[in-house]
Amino acid sequence: MVVGNIILRLRGSLEFKCQLDSTDVPHVQKVISRTFEALGSQVKAESLVLSLSSSPVFLWPNKGGHATAGEISPNRPCKDLQQLIQTDDQESSRKKSAKKDKKNPTAGIINLTLMTEVTEPGVLSAPTLLRGSKKHHLLQTTLPMDCVVSVLSSESISVVCGTLVGALCSQLGDMEKVALRHMKGTALLIPQPFHFLLPAPVGLVTVVYPAGVPDSQLETRRKELHSLFELPDDRPYLRRANALHFPDEPYKDGYLRNPHVHLNLPALENGKPYLVQGVYSYHHYMQDRVDDNGWGCAYRSLQTICSWFQQQGYVERAVPSHKEIQQALVEVGDKQGSFLGSRQWIGSIEVAAVLDQLLGVTSKIMFVSQGSELASKGRELANHFLSEGTPIMIGGGVLAHTILGVAWSETTGQIRYLILDPHYTGAEDLQVITDKGWCGWKGPEFWDQNAYYNLCLPQRPKTI
Amino acid sequence: MGRGYIVEDVVEKYLSNLSVPGASCVTGLLIGQSSSQRDFVVLAVRTPQKDTEGQGSPSVSRGAGNSLEYLDVEWVTEHARQVSRMLPGGMSVIGVFLVTPPELSKEAQNTLRRLIFAVDKHISKGRLWSLTEEDVTEKVTLHICSKTRKVVCRTYDVRDPKSSAKPADWKYQSGVCTSWPLLTCSVGLNLVFPVLEMHVLPQDMEKCMKEGLQTWAKQIEDGLCLINGDAMPGEVELLGGQKKNAKAVQQTFRAQILIPMAEPQSERRLTATVKVCSGSLTLKGMVQCRAYLHSNKPRAKHATEVIKRDVINTVSSRVEMFLEDLLMEGEDKGSVGVQQVLPRRVFAPVPGMSLCVCDYMFPDECVSDVSDRLKEMLDWETPEDSIDTSQEAVPEAPTIDLKNTVVQKNLKAKSTLDARPKTPSEDPTEAHKSHKTYYAGVAMAAAIALLATGTSLIYLSD
Repeated sequence: MVVGNIILRLRGSLEFKCQLDSTDVPHVQKVISRTFEALGSQVKAESLVLSLSSSPVFLWPNKGGHATAGEISPNRPCKDLQQLIQTDDQESSRKKSAKKDKKNPTAGIINLTLMTEVTEPGVLSAPTLLRGSKKHHLLQTTLPMDCVVSVLSSESISVVCGTLVGALCSQLGDMEKVALRHMKGTALLIPQPFHFLLPAPVGLVTVVYPAGVPDSQLETRRKELHSLFELPDDRPYLRRANALHFPDEPYKDGYLRNPHVHLNLPALENGKPYLVQGVYSYHHYMQDRVDDNGWGCAYRSLQTICSWFQQQGYVERAVPSHKEIQQALVEVGDKQGSFLGSRQWIGSIEVAAVLDQLLGVTSKIMFVSQGSELASKGRELANHFLSEGTPIMIGGGVLAHTILGVAWSETTGQIRYLILDPHYTGAEDLQVITDKGWCGWKGPEFWDQNAYYNLCLPQRPKTI
Repeated sequence: MGRGYIVEDVVEKYLSNLSVPGASCVTGLLIGQSSSQRDFVVLAVRTPQKDTEGQGSPSVSRGAGNSLEYLDVEWVTEHARQVSRMLPGGMSVIGVFLVTPPELSKEAQNTLRRLIFAVDKHISKGRLWSLTEEDVTEKVTLHICSKTRKVVCRTYDVRDPKSSAKPADWKYQSGVCTSWPLLTCSVGLNLVFPVLEMHVLPQDMEKCMKEGLQTWAKQIEDGLCLINGDAMPGEVELLGGQKKNAKAVQQTFRAQILIPMAEPQSERRLTATVKVCSGSLTLKGMVQCRAYLHSNKPRAKHATEVIKRDVINTVSSRVEMFLEDLLMEGEDKGSVGVQQVLPRRVFAPVPGMSLCVCDYMFPDECVSDVSDRLKEMLDWETPEDSIDTSQEAVPEAPTIDLKNTVVQKNLKAKSTLDARPKTPSEDPTEAHKSHKTYYAGVAMAAAIALLATGTSLIYLSD
């Protein structure tokens, strides 16, 4: 992200309503286009108002950025808007999180909502009633507008307002294209915007996809975009699951995401960290009302891995339950029917088998005959995180863990392992989890020096 | 502890000057505002005559003697409904009065109770906004003895059909409403209501419009209101900062109403909804809105409430009136595809006060019609030049369905002929109006003639 920039996010609903006198395709297309055109005019009208979330400030972008609050005049820099936002009482942790959120470039975004002023009329005469009697199909929906712009924090409010209105218009244009492309008869699929944070120099882009069309059917579109943005063609960047998750939107499923980002990196002489790429959820004992305390650690590690593949957009299926995992193993013939409903442990081989059966993901298996050997696996593990970046499941002794990364020094050979421990039985409390080391950096002494270990290294499928 | 009513001196004068011939009874309405702390009455209006023949009150039918049993409650409530339409936001019919000879004083209480419940019920019909917990539901009844001029004031909670009378104070004062703040705004409408294919126009027009307006009214009710460009928290006192005993002056506040551009979809829909429709109704234009607050520490939230309610009322009133008018005339096939002008709002001052009331003028009416109606409904004379018709502009020539070019030609011809406005004095048959509505269109005969040629009801008003 560009330093010195501010991100503004404008959301709201626009009413899409049109009358189709006939259902033949050219007429329908014409009417749809005309309706989008009319929405474009609405967005440029003087009655458009932007409400600055969590503040009493309203802006009229089409009246030069005129605002309600007296202190804000249109030629003030837009960063002044941030001061007017009333944040919750998490001020004490604000400084702390501001530092950490440097890693998350979308922290501190300004949220705005679309509104209209009904007391700003365009027509000036007394009301009339027009009765139409043509039979027609009425198409009606609301368009979920969601625009994100990145501007210099010193840019004036009036200019930023213009940029936002421009973004709305261009999103309407994208929505029109998507609507027309996927329209069948009178069925209009609702165009939905998604934001993606692509690697530099591209940055933040917004793509509109039609609702209800699964990612698997949108590959052509993604290929176009991959070539447009010069993205590698072997890993997904633009699937819906890859959409940027804004820090102010809580995940609704309740699982913690990437607890490791809140940890300090170990300081190794000439050491470099090699970490998991992307987003995973922390799965551990006792979640989902399943009491697997004492036997489910490998299952939980497997769940964490599945969550990674889902959130990177490789699969659309939800993270499997213990039951589903056991079912899969029976199906591939790895286990007998009596396995179902039991509390039997599984190991890396089973994990790899389930990943293959349920997700179509292949894995490499690494074997060490003694835990002490793990200290010498720095290069291999580092390479794994560089090229695949997937979480690793490690089983041995009587325990299973997830390795999320290594810090390794090529010169000294010193190594640390970033471990996510599935044996945690408490609530989703980030503070406890990081303080008590349930997610933490461990040294080579963490492993049972005499036990043998199997590691399952899942491989990314080559697809977009 | 009972409620306290602060009443304008003019009301005392009006009530004492009421001519109550012989042993008859007179009913009427009390108009004002109620707040949680105090109540204000600024106007009293007698129920108008029902027949033109003979004297005596309209509320007692001839030959029925003096018993209150024959009181025409429906007539009183209808008068209340018509008057309610003429009141800007904040002001409403908050009570009824009854003047009787001394021998009927006892029975009068029962009658008043019946009246006040019936009046409240009738004026609440068709209301598109909902009462909140903070709304005062106590209404006042006033009994005046025609001989002794003694006044008995009681209130009833109209929300509770079993409520009993509570005594209340009735105190006269001058200048009650001189410093009532005024809120104004003009609201633009651009609403399209679908007419689903199972509906048939014009019979179902009322239903379609009502459904559509209900949705719109909810948006307004839930909308945000800025006062003088400021989004004040609800508890802020509007008149705060005014020195006590400062010269009482009426302040005007400009209101702005903001609503989300659309309501987000509640269901997880993937496609747009498709409805088969047989037609549509488009309501377009600007309405001028006004509302008054009392001067007893009004807060921003009261202000936003009264102006929003006026916005909703003015639109629903004129639509109601338009539909009533249509009903009276019967089906008008010619009006499809033609923009019909709804009655527009005009304002008139209340004599002796800094308040105003409003009325609605149909396109074929003129100022003298308004003046006549004010006399009939509110019992006062209004010089025609004090009626403000400039707030809402007359729409330009209607846009007619271009397919109907014959209609266009006819309209041109007609407009030169019928350019002059008609007055009621030219049409004596208008004296007998339907009981349902007092707005029997002037030049009804001319209107019917117009319909016959299939043109719109629009005149160019000069």
